[in-house]
Amino acid sequence: MKQFSWGVILLIAFPLSAAAQDKATISGYVRDASNGEELIGVTVYIPSLQAGTTTNAYGFYSLSLPPGTYTLQFSYVGFKNTSLDIELTGNVTRNIAMESEATYIQEVVVEDEAIDANVTDVQMSRNTIDMNQVRKLPALFGEVDIIKNVQMLPGVITAGEGTSSFFVRGGSADQNLILIDEAPVYDPSHLFGLFSVFNADVIKDSELYKGGIPARFGGRLSSILEVRTKDGNNREFHGTGGIGSMASRIMLEGPIRKEKSSFIVSARRSYADLFLRAANEDNLVYFFDVNAKANWRHNNNNRFFVALYAGRDDLSFSDDAGFGWGNATATFRWNHLFNDRLFSNISLIASNFDYALEIFDPAQGLKWTSNLQELSLKNDLSYFINPGNELSFGYHITGRRFSPGTIKPNTPGSIFTTVELQKQYALDHALYLSNRQNIGSRMTVDYGVRLSIFQQVGKGDIFLYEDPKDNVDIVRTDTLTFGAWENIKTYVNLEPRVAVRYSLRPGQSLKFSYNRMVQNTHLIASGTVPVPFNTWNPSGYYLKPQIADQFAAGYFRNFRDNTLEFSVEAYYKTMSNVTDFADNAQLFFNEDLSTEFRQGDSESYGLEFMLNKTEGRLTGMVGYTWSHTVRHIEGVNLGREFFANYDRRNVINIMATYEHSERWSFGATFTYATGRPITLPEGKYEFGNYNPDVITERNGYRLNDYHRLDLSATLRQRVRPNRKWRGEWVFSIFNVYNQQNAFTVYTRTKQDDDGNIIGDGTEKEARLVYLFPILPSVTYNFTF
Amino acid sequence: MKRTLVHLVSLFVLIALGSCEKEYILRTNPADAKIVIEGLVTDKPGYQYVKISRSTDFYSSGKTPRVTDALVRVTDSDGVTTEFVHNPGAHPDSSGYYKPVAPFLGALGKTYSLVVIADGQEYRGEDTLYPVTTVDSLTYQINEDEQEDPEHPGRYYEVLIYTREPQETRDYYLFNFYRNDSLTLANPEDIYFTDDIVLAEAINGITMPIFFSQGDKATVEAFSISRQAFVFFNDLSILLNNDGGMYSPPPANCRNNLSNGALGFFRASAVTSMDIVVE
Repeated sequence: MKQFSWGVILLIAFPLSAAAQDKATISGYVRDASNGEELIGVTVYIPSLQAGTTTNAYGFYSLSLPPGTYTLQFSYVGFKNTSLDIELTGNVTRNIAMESEATYIQEVVVEDEAIDANVTDVQMSRNTIDMNQVRKLPALFGEVDIIKNVQMLPGVITAGEGTSSFFVRGGSADQNLILIDEAPVYDPSHLFGLFSVFNADVIKDSELYKGGIPARFGGRLSSILEVRTKDGNNREFHGTGGIGSMASRIMLEGPIRKEKSSFIVSARRSYADLFLRAANEDNLVYFFDVNAKANWRHNNNNRFFVALYAGRDDLSFSDDAGFGWGNATATFRWNHLFNDRLFSNISLIASNFDYALEIFDPAQGLKWTSNLQELSLKNDLSYFINPGNELSFGYHITGRRFSPGTIKPNTPGSIFTTVELQKQYALDHALYLSNRQNIGSRMTVDYGVRLSIFQQVGKGDIFLYEDPKDNVDIVRTDTLTFGAWENIKTYVNLEPRVAVRYSLRPGQSLKFSYNRMVQNTHLIASGTVPVPFNTWNPSGYYLKPQIADQFAAGYFRNFRDNTLEFSVEAYYKTMSNVTDFADNAQLFFNEDLSTEFRQGDSESYGLEFMLNKTEGRLTGMVGYTWSHTVRHIEGVNLGREFFANYDRRNVINIMATYEHSERWSFGATFTYATGRPITLPEGKYEFGNYNPDVITERNGYRLNDYHRLDLSATLRQRVRPNRKWRGEWVFSIFNVYNQQNAFTVYTRTKQDDDGNIIGDGTEKEARLVYLFPILPSVTYNFTF
Repeated sequence: MKRTLVHLVSLFVLIALGSCEKEYILRTNPADAKIVIEGLVTDKPGYQYVKISRSTDFYSSGKTPRVTDALVRVTDSDGVTTEFVHNPGAHPDSSGYYKPVAPFLGALGKTYSLVVIADGQEYRGEDTLYPVTTVDSLTYQINEDEQEDPEHPGRYYEVLIYTREPQETRDYYLFNFYRNDSLTLANPEDIYFTDDIVLAEAINGITMPIFFSQGDKATVEAFSISRQAFVFFNDLSILLNNDGGMYSPPPANCRNNLSNGALGFFRASAVTSMDIVVE
């Protein structure tokens, strides 16, 4: 094997001097006047030029213009429009502070024209989750959860309530890249998906990209969910908290040095034991989350951030068994302005996911652990050439270590011996370059390319097999041994990304996008919904990179002074080398796991309608998705095409909030979805004392249609001028009309509720599992 | 063991989520009946049989239809063939069971081939008979948790098994447990089988999965099984305990060693057993 090593790849030096010299640049940060938080995605518009830009992920904007007098308009949802008149003669820095609109809108009068980013932005297939609205919507057990909100968006499908997984445009749950402050979260679930790991108190902004994915993102096929946490109020000290039926939380924020540096810390802990039906006193079930962040603005050109997240679940059952899993992430970021037009962000990111499972027994005691670590360095740069061209480029390198499992005896008398599956190592490099260019006054094109280079490296042994797909009679013929850092397999992929917007007339546009995505980390799970005990594998000797090509086209239109946003999007997505597993695959603790891999193709297409009302007393969204997803994988379902587990033909989601008065607001969500496919038996047979099912077709049945209505009401305490403390009560009712929606169906020997067999033990029955009946909850939230 | 852990996970997910259940009526399409073959060859007398039946509708009750007119024979790797005949004792409960015409024992290290001709179709299977570790001893003790709240009054003794697991070979095992000579499962979908990947040599005091009363006779029967049989029982266990594919793999038919689409398994095993009376 050839020794292969990658040195430091230097960034492509971009000819910075080439752009026109007779221009002046205005640049700066846009912040929330009340707390100093940078605002992301603020529209900066110059009416006289009919041109503009938006603030980047760090709240920075830059416009290079010919010298002259201009009016800049800044607009952002939930904030009053702000304008700035400036005579531009040389390069200037202007930091903008925007005032937020009052939470309660007295009069439904729109003073300024609201922003039309929905129509004018070149980005399509992106949804921004408005945290202010999410807080007023009904939530399961009163726990505000952005993932549950993501599951309501058009183009997103859920496997059912009680899971934190979601399926975007025909992609499986592991094809979503979930980022918290740029750090990937490998398992976003608490309590097996009942809640997500995101504590709503600290979330500043979150966006879901379903298509037209920008070149700066890569690594997963179907979506990017980018969650950014607050930086902390740099003006004054504040706190927020809540006491709910499931969990309580507290968040503190404030300046370290006023307007220079700030911090935010938050914690959440559940007391979930209460809802366990079988009130077995010995059972312990809880989770916690801790978020902490500090930032320091050295000067306008240098800014530093440190963000930490840790969350964990611990479950133990009657001293017999214990489970635990958790994520921990750390991000260090340095925003640097080389000059008014060249913005750089360097991030150092670490992420860890691990789980442990323990059986307590004198003879059968064991501890099973597994983990996954990743360390990344990213340098992302934006070069604002002129209002018509914005160049983005960067370099990412990631190292990963996968430890799929170790089993150790935990008592001296245990029948088990220590066994460790070999670790796997991977290096991932990505270089990207893209440009957002205005062509004429009507068209904007964002075009770019991402080069991804993925290597599985040593140390490690690769087993060769007589038949690499034979998972019964496994015959190893040889072993290839690789030393530390030695290249095992390299995959190089070029990922083109294109997005086009064409304005038909004010308030109307057409958009088109194409993206190729490549995924080199594969979740080893064959159920519909991943559990935290699943492991990940890198692409390598046996697993090929998964590749997706997606075409999307859409029509975007705003009505009523941009307060009503409408869009319809169509997409067509094909995926190759989609990772699946042989029927009956043994995915846990298998030294010959590669014999279970089956990769194949997937095809998905769909149509998504969305109507969004952003202003007024009544705000909300209506979404309708029609979609179709099939898989064709050699070695699965006898090689016949089958519906993906999450194929639902029709999905309707409605979310609405209504501001009734200064004190009361109301929220409602309704969801309807075609039942998901499931594999059910066609018959049974006798073998020994057992009556196993006869299976004929994977996903040959469909569960009944899913529908559910949730309601909420928020009662705010009266505002008292000299009191800082403000409280509110949130009342939620989940599943108002008590629909018993099918979660899954399984079969068993016919028995009564106590487990006594009915009849002679040859009769079978199918059982429908449903999760939540009507569930009211109350949460008290406060700020000070 | 891995299997048990996986089931535990699935089970606890649903408990943690506080799930409820109700009966669900399947809209089954009547599928063509398939031939089901269950065959066993061991190194001890009395165990040898081949049972031939047909698959049936999911909601049928009682015994599945039996095939009583098949031709059945087993040939060992030395070429010695033994004919099996249908229910030689003409016992009414043994319809569908075929027994060797003459006394016949399996031998360690030999491979056995089964040929069944039923409904004009030929079905074949093959398995190898591997040695099995003997059980060294059994002891019993009161299980205090069970004594506090026994599922069945007085039944709170657990029986502990002591044995050695040979570390130099890759072995697979299947276990049967008997209470007073009656085959007993703790749960109707339980199968007791294991490989030895994570097992240490000293197996001291592993408990039987069922409880006993004073005066009960407890028996453990251990079979050696081939890798193929292990895979079959693993698949069978996944199928019997599946959750519809929500967290576990979607249900699928068991991989077996039978040709021509027959369900079931033809197994060759060495067998050892030991019993103890709880006093």
